[in-house]
Amino acid sequence: MVRLPYSTALTTLFSYGLLFAFGHLRDFFRRIIDSRKPTTNLKDYAPICLGHEDFYTRRLFNRVQDCCNRPIASAPDAWIDVIERYSNDGNKTIHRTSKTSRCLNLGSYNYLGFAAADEYCTPRVIESLKKYSASTCSVRVDGGNTKLHIELEELVARFVGKPAAILLGMGYATNSTIIPALIGKGGLIISDSLNHNSIVNGARGSGAAVRVFQHNNIAHLEEVLREQIAQGQPRTHRPWSKIIVIVEGIYSMEGELCKLPEVISVCKKYKAYTYLDEAHSIGAIGKSGRGVCDLLGVDPADVDIMMGTFTKSFGSCGGYIAASKEIIHHLKQTCPAHIYATSMSPPAVQQVISAIKVILGEDGTNRGAKKLAQIRENSNFFRSELKKMGFEVLGDNNSPVMPIMLYNPAKIPSFSRECLRLNVAAVVVAFPATPLLLSRARICISASHSREDLIKGLEVLSKAGDISGIKYFPVEQEKTTSVEKLKKIQ
Amino acid sequence: MGRRGKQPYYVEAAPPVDVNKNTEWFMYPGVWTTYILLLFFAWLLVLSVSGCSPGAAWTVVNLAHFAITYHFFHWKKGTPFAADDQGIYSRLTWWEQIDNGQQLTRNRKFLTVVPVVLYLIASHLTDYKQPMFFLNTVAVFVLVVAKLPNMHKVRIFGINADI
Repeated sequence: MVRLPYSTALTTLFSYGLLFAFGHLRDFFRRIIDSRKPTTNLKDYAPICLGHEDFYTRRLFNRVQDCCNRPIASAPDAWIDVIERYSNDGNKTIHRTSKTSRCLNLGSYNYLGFAAADEYCTPRVIESLKKYSASTCSVRVDGGNTKLHIELEELVARFVGKPAAILLGMGYATNSTIIPALIGKGGLIISDSLNHNSIVNGARGSGAAVRVFQHNNIAHLEEVLREQIAQGQPRTHRPWSKIIVIVEGIYSMEGELCKLPEVISVCKKYKAYTYLDEAHSIGAIGKSGRGVCDLLGVDPADVDIMMGTFTKSFGSCGGYIAASKEIIHHLKQTCPAHIYATSMSPPAVQQVISAIKVILGEDGTNRGAKKLAQIRENSNFFRSELKKMGFEVLGDNNSPVMPIMLYNPAKIPSFSRECLRLNVAAVVVAFPATPLLLSRARICISASHSREDLIKGLEVLSKAGDISGIKYFPVEQEKTTSVEKLKKIQ
Repeated sequence: MGRRGKQPYYVEAAPPVDVNKNTEWFMYPGVWTTYILLLFFAWLLVLSVSGCSPGAAWTVVNLAHFAITYHFFHWKKGTPFAADDQGIYSRLTWWEQIDNGQQLTRNRKFLTVVPVVLYLIASHLTDYKQPMFFLNTVAVFVLVVAKLPNMHKVRIFGINADI
């Protein structure tokens, strides 16, 4: 639920209308002027784009391409080297220079600071690289199953609180190949309307019927469940073979937590299975870092399938599914990503093992607990300061992801370029990752950000926000939160 | 926002449950007002640029509105961006896509009433005089017929049928 001034809604719609009008005008003239030039020698080949599918990319996205896909030249730690680029033809082609600028990194999913070299993890990773080499060059069921993989599966299962786990080499592929292995034709998938593309892809690929419920709206979920159970399968009205409700721990575009206890109770009432995607929440929230179940006090045994990725908090790559022994046994025999895809790279596995050991405190220090406390403190501080400055910030407390609403299409590049000019690397998200009118800048806080880094970030965001005009809410306590006062507290 | 003391009027926008990204923008607050304001400012623009009578300006706006809305709502099919939906909307015009294909929703009723109101204003202010009256009538007839529920997915004489 976002609150925006009415005039902003009107101007945003008008701006998009204007951009579309100019885009169509340019297309019209291009068709006239370029009609005699043969565009391609491929006669009788079908066109790559059906109709006007590439209109948005050509006329809207290409204007602001320099705000996306920025190449970097260092590890994505709290500070990052962004390669400077220039364009001579209005962003149609962008060229790299050899200069880099050192920017504060507010865009990486580096929640616990494992993205750069770590004193416990990195030596062990280098050792495993020498011992097991960079890739197993084989699938898990063939020659790709090493001691590290088995150790990590047991460790992940223990960390998350489930009896068993299965590892896969890619987070996106985890969702898109596991869901078809769990449910097929004759089943029903009920997924939150803001679920990630990987879940949507997996649901479409499974062949099951898919229904969507309004984001975090438990009453609507119950309504959809009741209606679907009563109706049964389409046309035959036979009962569904199984019903899976898919929700995420933290929704990365909203920064919100899901209402897990209520979802579990509704699912238990109607005997539906629950699938929890903890890509952003595992390792980042909860007292001991065990994710949204830890934070909201839900017993992991109540969630049927827990999925997560190692890309965000553990500084590695890959994904896992944790569930009961029978489900994992079934998945190991049916999931195509397990049987046919190369297993996770051994150094990446070692990185996750070391990272989990640090979080659990099994490396002999309390760095894990310190990191968790640091990220919680950083997130709450940053979010409350941003709100005091008048920005519209989404997301719940304790969530390290905070989207700042921009709305107007012109504010997207203005905010992004101004931040880069002042040496802060912030990520802006627009259509089609978000709804058309609700474009935002997404800030991800890390445990490796120090208090000075955060204060500098706040200063720059405030300046960029003033220039772009995105402080939609009144500033609270105007005099007491000036940046000078914050610096004095240090 | 630049206002001192006086709070701006806020609206709440809950994300709508429309999986079709091509049409879900139409369910947000402020869309109807923007549409009406656009028509009004277009009329002012035509008046100020050409200096013709108000009725003639409304006729121009009505005909331009006919051309633009017919092209974008009832002629172009599919989505203007590469959605990952395997092309399920590639045979449907925008009008057939909105509200998930449900007929007679509030949005559809509003969009059907707007050409009729434009027609009434334009015809009244031109005193029902001949060439304008005929053109306005053709415009409103085509637009309203195109929006009727019975015309859902109908392609007359195969015009604009699929590739």
